[in-house]
Amino acid sequence: MKKTGLIFFPAFDWAISETHPEREERLLYTRDQIFEEGILDNPKILEYKPRLATNNDINRVHFCVPDVDSQTTSAHFISAGSSLKLGDALVNGEIKNGFALVRPPGHHAMRIVHGNRGFCNINNEAILVEYLRAKYGFKKIAIVDTDVHHGDGTQDIFYHDPDVLFISVHQDGRTLYPGSGFVDEAGGPGAHLKTINIPLPPGTTDEGFLSVCRQIIKPALAVFQPELIINSAGQDNHFTDPLANMKVTAQGYAKLTEELKPDLAVLEGGYAIETALPYVNLSILLALAGEDYSKVVEPQYKPHELKQSPETTRYITQIINYWQEKLAQDAPDKESLFGPNRIYTRRRNIYYDTDQISEEQQEFVEYCPDCPGLYRVISGAKKAYGRDYRIWGISIPLYACPHCRHRAYELWGEELQKKSIGNGAYDFYCLQDK
Amino acid sequence: MHIGVDVGGTYTDGVIIDHDRVIQTVKIPTKKNLAHSIELVIAQLAANNGAENIDKIVISTTLITNLLAEKKHESVGLLLLPGPGVNPADLNFVCPTVVIRGAVDYRGRIIVEADLREVQQAVEGMLAKGINSIAVACKFSQRNPVLENKVIEYLGQSYPRVITIASHRVSGLLNWLRRANGAALTLMISEKYHFFIRQIEESLAKMKICCPIYVLKADGGTLPLELALQYPLESVFSGPAASALGALAFADKNITSVVMDIGGTTTDLAIILNGVPLLSERGAFIDNYPIPVRGLALTSLALGGDTSITAQNGRVSLGPRKGQAYCLGGPRLTITDILVYLGKSDISSSEEVVGALGELAGSLGRKPQEIAAEVIDIFMDTLEAKLEEMFHKWEEEPAYHIWQVLSQQKKRPAAIICLGGPADGLGALWGERKGWDVQIPPYSPVANAIGAALAKTTLRLELHADTEQMRYSTNLGSVGGPLATKLKNTDEAKQFALSIFRELSDKWSLEKDYTGNIPETIYEESFNLIRDWHTSGKIFQIGLQTPSGIQTVLHPCSKKAPEGGAKQ
Ligand SMILES: [Zn+2]
Ligand SMILES: [Zn+2]
Repeated sequence: MKKTGLIFFPAFDWAISETHPEREERLLYTRDQIFEEGILDNPKILEYKPRLATNNDINRVHFCVPDVDSQTTSAHFISAGSSLKLGDALVNGEIKNGFALVRPPGHHAMRIVHGNRGFCNINNEAILVEYLRAKYGFKKIAIVDTDVHHGDGTQDIFYHDPDVLFISVHQDGRTLYPGSGFVDEAGGPGAHLKTINIPLPPGTTDEGFLSVCRQIIKPALAVFQPELIINSAGQDNHFTDPLANMKVTAQGYAKLTEELKPDLAVLEGGYAIETALPYVNLSILLALAGEDYSKVVEPQYKPHELKQSPETTRYITQIINYWQEKLAQDAPDKESLFGPNRIYTRRRNIYYDTDQISEEQQEFVEYCPDCPGLYRVISGAKKAYGRDYRIWGISIPLYACPHCRHRAYELWGEELQKKSIGNGAYDFYCLQDK
Repeated sequence: MHIGVDVGGTYTDGVIIDHDRVIQTVKIPTKKNLAHSIELVIAQLAANNGAENIDKIVISTTLITNLLAEKKHESVGLLLLPGPGVNPADLNFVCPTVVIRGAVDYRGRIIVEADLREVQQAVEGMLAKGINSIAVACKFSQRNPVLENKVIEYLGQSYPRVITIASHRVSGLLNWLRRANGAALTLMISEKYHFFIRQIEESLAKMKICCPIYVLKADGGTLPLELALQYPLESVFSGPAASALGALAFADKNITSVVMDIGGTTTDLAIILNGVPLLSERGAFIDNYPIPVRGLALTSLALGGDTSITAQNGRVSLGPRKGQAYCLGGPRLTITDILVYLGKSDISSSEEVVGALGELAGSLGRKPQEIAAEVIDIFMDTLEAKLEEMFHKWEEEPAYHIWQVLSQQKKRPAAIICLGGPADGLGALWGERKGWDVQIPPYSPVANAIGAALAKTTLRLELHADTEQMRYSTNLGSVGGPLATKLKNTDEAKQFALSIFRELSDKWSLEKDYTGNIPETIYEESFNLIRDWHTSGKIFQIGLQTPSGIQTVLHPCSKKAPEGGAKQ
């Protein structure tokens, strides 16, 4: 019998602050429900002890400014490390799938980390993907983000990676934090349509949630043929969530899990700590273990209040049509997408809500016919408190060609040279070699 | 003087201890009537040492296991009030169940009222099937027992002849399945257990022994006989606890060690950390049914002194017991015979086995000493693998706090205390192989009785207090209820937990001189309940315990010569 691995790490001794939604209490009632059910005595579920991720695991993904230790606490290392431990158990064949029921979350953490965005410092799923690829040689991995908020951090990290398919289903960015995740954010020129955003209107129910799963997500996965599927299992699409406006139930989440069949699910957001989390976490766990979840029905569940309006259904049908057409089209060639200068550049401002930081960032991706191409970034941040840092970073993609790899070290050397003669424009110079 | 009695499947052992010396040991074949076996053993010990000098008796029995195995117990049904969650049909309940409408949530709030018409229907159905004892189990009943009480009250009025029990009376453990099974099993055995205890009380009264009497629990603690009636399941699986404590009788007070108890067909392993036996993470099982009782974290090897040795397909093969050792007249060579051959056991001389071993070796075209070495290797390799598995499980116990994950790596034992017939030989060989410290305590044949005699009374209290709902609950059956005052901070919560602990420790007869009556704090935590950006209350969780272990380390020399099968 293949088992479902579980790491439950409620971090009962960690909070962002006393009254913050990310506080000790968040998974207390989930603990109560899961323990009381007696489900942990079920031999199909195997509970693991969490472990710490390493600085190396984090540096594989992030440019932490000024360094990993100043952007993380022990809780972050454990939350990220838990997914890695389940990843090991999965690859070793100890488990058939796994659920990292952990906090703090991570899907708003981008490649560059100046502080906390949307309750996140480091990106648990991205760290997991890069760990599995570096350690076990996986190549193609899909991340399906079912948190109500756009997984902008994960999108950012894999935006130019053709071997990671990132799909995010979320409440439309015009009505919810972080205000991004529109259909035209569809991957860099070297990773065209490897980012799929599915913004949904407020009031979407199980029906709409499941229809995008069946009609966009599943077909896209079938085409991409990932070796692994990771689910960012945020639970704030729930009809009682205080921060969002959707109408999904524990049953809806369980059915989605059952149909998506993720290899690993990682908890993200979800702040209806009493009305949603105990039930949704339980139903996801049961669905992963192949157990009956049909009796996990929230006390607040009233079917007549959870009907999807025709308007909402119409809007969702349009999105489904949009993506079905888009995915059926022939992909344009990479060279033409990069344009005549054969370089992709983007300049933008990124706001860190939790820490009130305003980052100014410029990215460059070079066209290379043989690999995803070199990624460079320069970034500076204005902080409400603490020191402002400017950083220069270069990232060698995992499957880089020898030419690009060589060039990366050359460029890095040049920058360090400038710095050594007092001509450097930045506080930190980072090279990421995955 | 303390008496310890251990009723095993074959023998009933007794020991009487004065301060730190063993005075006398007794070993008799176990009778069909366990109470009678106990009476005989105590009578012998009392006769020589004076009934009036006995100040405490601790009994470890297999009674509960026997009662359940005989299947002569009461026919019991379970009324379940599950509310939302796992389908009860998928859970491993120990008896027939009927699901009733009615639910309580994790905060102890009623979310669906109990439907008494459904209860009536269910009970009629059960009565028709000859079930006349009914346990009631509602999810989160420890947080609020109101629905369980309502159903029990209704049953009492409408079906006065039906015997009932509510799951929150049996245990407060946060595991509905285990509580439900605990309640049902308690009903199954309680009548016979009452009878057993009355028998013991009567026979002791006849002998004019009037000291406190305790039963040994699965976790190595003791429970006063009066409370054993309320929590009969606690005494299940006390044998391994008795053996582990017995192994500690002559060791350093704070020893960290493995205990290896080698029987005829199996070998049990337990871990001792700083003098305290390690408990299993989740709890015990009876025939695959989870129950609300924590026993020792045990691992077993399917190998023992009588494990038979044969040649199969051209190779040495270890198989089930066919009888006792060849050198003692048994049909086949056994591990014990190999120890005799190697000069590692003095129960017989190696001449007794040389012939048979030579024959076996010859049939395989090999030398006898090669076969002997291979048998020992198989035992040692199996032992090593099982120890690794047990250590790994212990090191991988789930952690829900940062401090638990960050706390230093657990230090594995590098000492082993060996009990049982072939203990000296196999222990010495393990020591040679791994460089471990090996101890073979004296009085090994009555180690379980010694363990019972020396066991501490233990109490573990886990308080959960919710100042918004103004209710508290604990891990113990029947201990919980409304909060009289609003606890303001962790200190106040801890004081409250301590006051409950003190009250219980009188009832549980905790020895003040050994524990100082000051429990150790296992954890203390508080949760801010924030609703609409305001603190609306707090939830406190406080864990207090007096750990199990032995009261006194014994002196290896007896005051008088030991009698009845004990050896030194
Ligand atoms: Zn979210
Ligand atoms: Zn290249």
